[in-house]
Amino acid sequence: MNENFIAKWQSQVKKGTLTFIILNVLQNNEFYGYEFIEEVKKLTKIEIAEGTFYPLMNRLKKENLVTSKWVEQESGIPRKYFSLTDTGKETLGQMKAYWEDLSSSIKKIS
Amino acid sequence: MKIKEIQFREDASRRIYLSYMKRIERMIKPLSKPDQTEVLLEFNSHIYEGLAHKHQKNEIVKLVDILDKLGNPEEVLKPLIADKKLEEATRTFNPIHLFKALALNISNGISYLIFGILYLSLFGFVFLIYAKFNNPDGVGLYTKNNSFMALGKLNDGYLQNPNISEVLGNWFIPVMLLSIILSYLLITLLLKLKRSINKK
Repeated sequence: MNENFIAKWQSQVKKGTLTFIILNVLQNNEFYGYEFIEEVKKLTKIEIAEGTFYPLMNRLKKENLVTSKWVEQESGIPRKYFSLTDTGKETLGQMKAYWEDLSSSIKKIS
Repeated sequence: MKIKEIQFREDASRRIYLSYMKRIERMIKPLSKPDQTEVLLEFNSHIYEGLAHKHQKNEIVKLVDILDKLGNPEEVLKPLIADKKLEEATRTFNPIHLFKALALNISNGISYLIFGILYLSLFGFVFLIYAKFNNPDGVGLYTKNNSFMALGKLNDGYLQNPNISEVLGNWFIPVMLLSIILSYLLITLLLKLKRSINKK
């Protein structure tokens, strides 16, 4: 067994689908950073590298897929909540359709 | 929005936290003030929520665990800063922003190498104007037997060769000035083009 090769492949797949995962998790709820990372871990067992999360969200914001707002807390330390924009929802729909196509194509050949 | 310092029970935790925030501050210096505040607020909030949610009792262990997972600010913030700087540069046409964006994005690959070469040419034209003032007879655009030979300074030996001639004469400085303006516009437009391609 080539475990090294499989591990590399898995990491590439995760990297390639990270945006898709993020948009899916955000489709029905808004989350703040820490909560979001925990939610993804709970639902998918994927651990997002925490330091790369905020730069990635910044990119998604620039692409107008995600929006964010600061919400003041009693602690005095605000939370930044992320949610999907309308463009984000539309994009997610297209990504899902592509994912379904890809998945059924792979099923046919495997 | 103000950045509120997180309160710790132990002094050692506070020092580790402050040192980490300082590293972030140092790293994000090239960004605009609002962007700096945004990044600090994000990391501060993440650390605070992490501390509040982790079940581990020991404060320092909790904090170090959170900071480990966040990673080295010097590494994880690089792409964010490069992105933001590029945004500023293409928005303002400011040469300082452009230069910083290029420096930060140099690791982004071969396209930035091309930008680097273009920028180097731009500074080359500036230097040639300076050189022409210092050495009016030795600097110019030279041709040998009617084909391009050199742009810059030639040794005396070459200058005495009858087949070599300088073609721009008094037009050398205006042509260099025009080259500077054209290179600058080309770099800025290519940067804008690259950004719009990246967006697609």
